[in-house]
Amino acid sequence: MEFIKNFPFITIVLSLFCSVICYAFKDKKARFVTYFLLIISSCMSFSVIMYNLFSETGYFAYRMGHYDAPIGNEISAGLLEPFFALLFEIVIFLSITGGYKRLQKDVEESKQRFFYIMINLTHAALMSLCYTNDIYTAYVFIEICTIASCALLMSSKRTRSLVAATRYTIFSLIGSSLVLIGIVLLYSVTGHLLFPNIFETIQALWATGEYTNPLTIALGLIISGLAIKSGMFPFHWWMPDTYGTATPCASGILSGVVSKGYIFLLLKMIYRVIGPQIFLESGINNILLVFGVCGMIVGSVSAIRTSNITFMTAYSSAAQIGYIYMGIGLGTKEALLAALFQIVAHSLTKPMLFLAAGGLSDTVGGKQDFDSLRSSAHYNKPSGIAFAAGALSMVGIPIFAGFVPKMLFSISAFGHGFKTYIVLLALAISTILNVIYFLRTLVNIYSPAIVDIPREKIHFSKIKVFTVVVIVMAIVNLTVGLHSQPIISLFEKGIEIFINIR
Amino acid sequence: MNELFLITPIFLPIILGAILFFIPFKNQKQRNAYVITSLILSSVAVWLSAFLVPDNSLTILHFTNELTLSLRLDGAGKIFSCLSATLWPITAIYAFDYMKHEEHHQMFYCFFVMAFGTTMGIAMAENILTMYLFYEMLTLTTIPLVAHGMTMKHNRAARKYMIYSIGGAAFAFAGVVFLIVNGAGTFRLGGNLVTVDNETLALVLYFFAFMGFGVKSAIFPLHGWLPTASVAPTPVTALLHAVAVVKAGAFALIRLTYYAYGTEFLYGSWAHYVVMAFSIFTIVYGSVTALRQKHFKRRLAYSTISNLSYIGFATTLMTPAGLVAAFCHLVFHSVIKIGAFFAAGSVLHNSEREFVPQLEGIGKKMPWTFGFFTVFALALTGIPPFCGFFSKWYIATAAFATDNPLATVGVIALLISALLTAIYMLSPAVKAFFPRENAEIHLDEIKEAKPAMLIPMGICVLLCIVLGLFVRIPVEIIGEVLGI
Amino acid sequence: MFNMVSSIVAPFICGILMLFAKKINDRKTKVAFAVVMQSIITIFGLLTVFGDEVSTKSFVFIDNLTVGFTADLVAKFFCAIIVIAWLLVTIYAGVYMKHEKNEERFFLFSFLTEGAMLGAAFSDSLVSMYVFYELVTLLSMPLVLHSLTKESVGAAKKYLYYSIAGAFMALFGVFVVGTSAENLGFVAGGTFENVTPLVLTAVFVMCLGFGAKAGLFPLHGWLPTAHPVAPAPASALLSGVIAKAGVLAIIRTVFYTVGAKNIMGTWVQIALLVLSLLTVLMGSMMAYREKIFKKRLAFSTVSQISYVFCGLFLFNEAGMDGALWQIIFHAIVKVGLFLCAGAVIFLYGKTKVEELNGIGKKMPVTFTCFTALSLSLIGIPPMGGFFSKWELATASLDTTAIGALGWIIPVVLLVSALLTAGYLLDISIRAFFRDADDDTTKVKESKAMCVVLVILAVASLLGGIFATHTGNMISSIVSALF
Repeated sequence: MEFIKNFPFITIVLSLFCSVICYAFKDKKARFVTYFLLIISSCMSFSVIMYNLFSETGYFAYRMGHYDAPIGNEISAGLLEPFFALLFEIVIFLSITGGYKRLQKDVEESKQRFFYIMINLTHAALMSLCYTNDIYTAYVFIEICTIASCALLMSSKRTRSLVAATRYTIFSLIGSSLVLIGIVLLYSVTGHLLFPNIFETIQALWATGEYTNPLTIALGLIISGLAIKSGMFPFHWWMPDTYGTATPCASGILSGVVSKGYIFLLLKMIYRVIGPQIFLESGINNILLVFGVCGMIVGSVSAIRTSNITFMTAYSSAAQIGYIYMGIGLGTKEALLAALFQIVAHSLTKPMLFLAAGGLSDTVGGKQDFDSLRSSAHYNKPSGIAFAAGALSMVGIPIFAGFVPKMLFSISAFGHGFKTYIVLLALAISTILNVIYFLRTLVNIYSPAIVDIPREKIHFSKIKVFTVVVIVMAIVNLTVGLHSQPIISLFEKGIEIFINIR
Repeated sequence: MNELFLITPIFLPIILGAILFFIPFKNQKQRNAYVITSLILSSVAVWLSAFLVPDNSLTILHFTNELTLSLRLDGAGKIFSCLSATLWPITAIYAFDYMKHEEHHQMFYCFFVMAFGTTMGIAMAENILTMYLFYEMLTLTTIPLVAHGMTMKHNRAARKYMIYSIGGAAFAFAGVVFLIVNGAGTFRLGGNLVTVDNETLALVLYFFAFMGFGVKSAIFPLHGWLPTASVAPTPVTALLHAVAVVKAGAFALIRLTYYAYGTEFLYGSWAHYVVMAFSIFTIVYGSVTALRQKHFKRRLAYSTISNLSYIGFATTLMTPAGLVAAFCHLVFHSVIKIGAFFAAGSVLHNSEREFVPQLEGIGKKMPWTFGFFTVFALALTGIPPFCGFFSKWYIATAAFATDNPLATVGVIALLISALLTAIYMLSPAVKAFFPRENAEIHLDEIKEAKPAMLIPMGICVLLCIVLGLFVRIPVEIIGEVLGI
Repeated sequence: MFNMVSSIVAPFICGILMLFAKKINDRKTKVAFAVVMQSIITIFGLLTVFGDEVSTKSFVFIDNLTVGFTADLVAKFFCAIIVIAWLLVTIYAGVYMKHEKNEERFFLFSFLTEGAMLGAAFSDSLVSMYVFYELVTLLSMPLVLHSLTKESVGAAKKYLYYSIAGAFMALFGVFVVGTSAENLGFVAGGTFENVTPLVLTAVFVMCLGFGAKAGLFPLHGWLPTAHPVAPAPASALLSGVIAKAGVLAIIRTVFYTVGAKNIMGTWVQIALLVLSLLTVLMGSMMAYREKIFKKRLAFSTVSQISYVFCGLFLFNEAGMDGALWQIIFHAIVKVGLFLCAGAVIFLYGKTKVEELNGIGKKMPVTFTCFTALSLSLIGIPPMGGFFSKWELATASLDTTAIGALGWIIPVVLLVSALLTAGYLLDISIRAFFRDADDDTTKVKESKAMCVVLVILAVASLLGGIFATHTGNMISSIVSALF
């Protein structure tokens, strides 16, 4: 059983390995490599979860290399880390499977294996971000992730994608740079690279009052950097273009998984490096709260104003990430639970929406504006149903996954004085805004057409795999919505471990 | 029969409705038969539940350890569910003839039947989370009904309805969570809130919840969706906006006030006065605006807005007498208003005339329709011995029994509204039967409504009279069932 | 009891039978049918009047909302007025309606209204009376809009809305009284021991509300609009009889439910007296200036019925006495006056007063009766109207409870009498002592109409002869209440 402790490490190394060997295969085989990788990794992550559930401490640290901490490198796994690893793997798997047909159209034949290489790299990076206990390793894999994501975005044949990818890269790199500067500052102040060690040092320094300013700046830089990369307001505005022009599979992965990886790292920073006490004392949490709320509202408002379905979905991502930051900003365990669940719900739903949007626009030859898309749901029934499920989940209708975080956020809002009102109001207004654009679109795609353009009826037998994937995603969504207790219990345990174990 | 049976009235119609969409019917008759059978079966299930199922709760599933989806049929639920169960099949009969000439029937009837199930879910919810779930589901299952016809007008109406409803529920959600967090989620007459940490927060959230659920109950200023939604086909307007959707809103307000927060907690607080004031204002506003409407169905829509706040006003009295009065008007108004919409719909269907000035003289060609309409007009105004008078009586006596000066204002508002009701309801009737000498009337192609449309109207008229003449019985039953 | 119930139910049945009368082609038969039916009703009514005081069991809606009938003194009093007046008007209408269309509809609603009136008169509880009161409004409205011109429809709507407004004001009072009292049955002297300010306000509002039908300021506005456009028989019934439903309602509320002793001396009494006086004066003044014949008579009604209110609200025996007499005489006179006006319209189509110059020569019988009736209305002895006015004046002088009003009232009554003389005798003078402006040919007066008018004129003159029995009845009513 101890063998299971190796699994996190194996997943990272295996991903790197697979990304290399993908180069040798033609497109079809490359795909299977990725599938193989994802399946193995999922099983491994799942085993880690099970192992930690039944072990005494519920957590283990794993020495990488021959040297112990604080000199050597380390990865750790509690309950949250493998869970999110598993979640990311599942989402990537479903996105690739569902978006495969579209991928064939969007990406050149000869370049497709590069696409899979990049996916594997992204996967590796995400695994590391989940499991790492070392700040420098984190930075390395942040960079790998950035480059791989950029490549994913660029892969589409459209010229617009190039522009979007460039913009994405620039801003992402700005974020990374800020993180790097922050790391350097932190290292020079604390002298450590491993999370537990940094944590002790910071606590000691903070208590004595030395180095408060450099520490604050360092932490601020790191948090801002990661926030920029994950699309927190006001750094969200480049997102729609990127997601909107990439192939649905890539959009799904990026919005559903990559941004969440950065957020998870951010959570590690806050709770394992800075410590919740300092986080709340310094007031950084209020800034996150405010920006989160602003993101919720502004993101939705922008979504209302756009007339392109994928842009709308992308702006919606900005809004949903705002929810997460609101939860982080509140600072309590209940709020953290809500934020984590929001990650789960959003990761499961957003790729489904992107896939569905792609399917709908396929019926009208790739057009993405609302006028052309009217009645498209009748021509591509699976996409229509998927979009409906996704939209209802985003709005927060009970029985769908999106309702649970809404509920958890509301519960966590109480007991914070006037912040309670802000949070509750923000939730209510955001729901209304979500309704306006999501359900408007939903009604739209089922209404009779007004623009006369050639339409292609895509029967579901032609897109068997897509249909299956989309149905599976919808079912998963419903299951999570109806039976959220297992995940919540897992999170509650995991949060305890996450916050307390060093 | 135990409480497991409660699943039937809720999920049977939902399943039957969903299946409807996929069955390839040979002709309309077959499909109509299926629809009416589904509805009657479900109705029977409701009535059986009302009489035979004990007052225990049934947990269907656990969202989390504390949050459950549970059902329980108590007195209040029985009244609402039986009312809806009676009126739904009647509306279906009316709809068959009315919708004969429309398209997209499958979808229409599919959601028509499903909406019945979701309404039952609201009636039989044991806790506020369950009610909230079915509340949202009701909105979702009724949006396609409003949007039927799919013209720009219909789409806009559906969108407006959607945004208002779900938006309202979003605000109400804060109150819902507050109740759950404070252990008051389960419905119990008298409420569960004993003490709270933050009373201001509790009352503010009550106000949000009241206005949020009040959207469906068309409280000013959140009533805007109702008149716009009257573009829907008349069977939809009749049922949903006279009985199911709006009464679900009123029902939710009653649950919120009497069974969740509890009147002891709320009585005399500032929130109490504020919600009462909104109700009173809506009573008058609805009637005044109805008077100014020339469009027949919109006039009835504003009339509904006003009457819903009669129920709201009775609810905000926050006494047992107020509760009885609220339910009384809930039942009586449903019967009256659905009949009135049937009549209006027949006129629209047979003559294509939508505006009141165009109704001059039609009484000659459609005497039964307008005769029935006159009865509904008198009942709505509150002329004895029709039932409408007695529900107003109960509301007024309950209002005077509280020593609340605002309640007296409410009674005055009620009477002003009654006068305005007389004017705006009787004037179409008078116009129809007594056309002016020199009015140009073209009545050539207008025929009386077919029996399929007249019979439902006739049943409603009969109910108006019977409920009025023997009003003691329904009121006693209501009181007993509620446990007062 | 059979008589009472029949007198209430029969008009409804007759009304429905009139619907079938449409099939009868011969006009004379139709009319005869109507007259015969009305005679039957009148016989039932009079039998009830002269019979015992009976009552039926009440039909209970809810605890104290009951419907039931009783033939007590007040009920008999009003019943007599109703059935006799209705018979005379029906005979008259038989001739008059020759010029109008849709006679059957007129008679239909006429009968139905009569039934409702009798129902209200015989009601034994406040709610029962309220139900029939509303019915009276609804059923009499079609009488107003009978000719279906734009004006008549508008006037009917005005009547409807004023009446319903009044009814709802009264309903407010019914709500309050209903919650304060144990039961709402009518008991002479009232059932309240003492009253709260809320109940007092409710009584005031109720009087204003019920007063709408009777033309009490401020809800009198419908009267002048409705009368010119309604057919003359309808106007006669409206002013002469239906308006008295308002009076009945107020009597029942004040004297038989709340109790006069509770209102005596309070602000309610003063306010109501002031309003009545105001109406008396205003009505007479407006009548004096009015140029349209029937409208002048309408204003006269407004004024004269408030004489009744003056008497009622004095809350003493003499006042009550005078009020009841005034009811009788005003009914007789006003019906007659309107029928005269109707005759003029029927024969010559003239509606304005200034057109009546010299018409007395062409319609001698009609205008002689008119003059006789006018003298009674003004209050000149030995015409019956004098009786009632005298009683009212002396009653007010006797009352000390109302202070200064005690002598203001007779003054106002006197001034009003002068104005009445002015506006009524003006017509008689024009008719007999002026020459006709145009040379219209003389049309013979209808025999049936003349008979009716003569009966009424004689009745107003010989008030004294009927006085004994009626006087007994009135005295019994009065003594029961005080």
